[in-house]
Amino acid sequence: MDKYVCTLCGYVYDPVNGDPDNGVTPGTPWEEVPEDWVCPLCGAGKDDFEKE
Amino acid sequence: MAVRKITETVFNIGTIDWDRQTFDELIPLPDGTSYNSYFVRGSEKNALIDGVDPDTIEEYISNLKSLNVDKVDYIISNHTEQDHSGTIVNLLKLFPDAKVVTNKKCKEFLMEHLLIEEDFFITIEDNETISLGDKTLQFILAPWVHWPETMFTYLVEEKIVFSCDFLGSHLATNETFSSDDAKVYDAAKRYYAEIMMPFRPHVKKHLLKLKEMEIDFVCPSHGPSFSNPSFILNAYEDWSGDNVKNKVLIPYVSMHGSVKAMVNYLVDRLTQKGIRVELLNMTKKGLGELAIDAVDSATIVFGVSTMLIGPHPTMLYTGTIINALKPKTRFVSLVGSYGWGSKAFETMEGILNNLKSQMLTKVLAKGYPKEEDFEKLDVLADEIEARHIEIGIL
Repeated sequence: MDKYVCTLCGYVYDPVNGDPDNGVTPGTPWEEVPEDWVCPLCGAGKDDFEKE
Repeated sequence: MAVRKITETVFNIGTIDWDRQTFDELIPLPDGTSYNSYFVRGSEKNALIDGVDPDTIEEYISNLKSLNVDKVDYIISNHTEQDHSGTIVNLLKLFPDAKVVTNKKCKEFLMEHLLIEEDFFITIEDNETISLGDKTLQFILAPWVHWPETMFTYLVEEKIVFSCDFLGSHLATNETFSSDDAKVYDAAKRYYAEIMMPFRPHVKKHLLKLKEMEIDFVCPSHGPSFSNPSFILNAYEDWSGDNVKNKVLIPYVSMHGSVKAMVNYLVDRLTQKGIRVELLNMTKKGLGELAIDAVDSATIVFGVSTMLIGPHPTMLYTGTIINALKPKTRFVSLVGSYGWGSKAFETMEGILNNLKSQMLTKVLAKGYPKEEDFEKLDVLADEIEARHIEIGIL
């Protein structure tokens, strides 16, 4: 599963860890992360992420 | 300094920093700057929209006094950066009953940076309004122009948008509204290039939002306000839009004349082809000139001298700045020279990783450029011409 990096602040979404604090369970691939999920560090939307 | 009247009930009580020469210890300010803070008088409540740089607090307080501001109910914070928020602490001492009105993210930042306690805040959501009696302030969240917490404030009845850094310019002026369009255009373009360009997709998004609103005045936090909003909105549309100009930006450093000979040759060839060139000797030019020309150049060619295997540090700096500003440049190339060995191009390419540009032919000469190097420069010039024709700008 690919990691995705926030182009604005550098946060890396790792599907292995997910983002459980914001309702994304570990193991969730990027494609299944909800469209309204935002970067937990800076608030950027999914559009601002690129494959690492 | 005198208070500047926008309308009968809205005033710019901000300060003018005629002497300031750099911002963020990085960005040169050839025209100084101003920090605009707006006072809005309502029938029941008064509001202040943003503050000023704390270094100019005395002038600010004198402006507040000269307008006889005796009551402030709301301090609106559109942006946490200290040149706008730094005086909130002073304002809360002057007006202890006032509340700081801002979004959740901005509140979090203000608490972290200025150590303001949570009790002082009213937190608003996107599009939420507060009433001043006969006037209404509406808040429009505008993340990433240019921090995650930035927002605009809209005075509904008077159709005024307070856009904070967005649409601003570093220009020290006592004019309420822009009257010297050419001067303001250049200053606003420089500001866009240095501050907003890295967030171009977000600029476009928020610009569309503003274009749908009824706006009579644009009041930014730096530089003059606009009584003809389309002037600045159209300029932003041009700069942030996807179109590029038939222009090649060539920033270079030449230690012993080889790179200079190469870029001069390239300039000649491009001139013959009717392609505009901006040639910047980076030991003599600064970040501002570099950024302005990066806004709309279709192509950037870096002229790189080799120093101790790597790029001359000034070109390393130039590459780092261009990479951070993320211009919409379509094509890029490297020309350069070395004495006995060079990793300069590899290093430059490594630091230009944010650019979505196509790499054209690179030309690296050993010592002074020879016939085969000039032939390669011909190839590069032909490629630039062909690409500019392909995308319809030549």
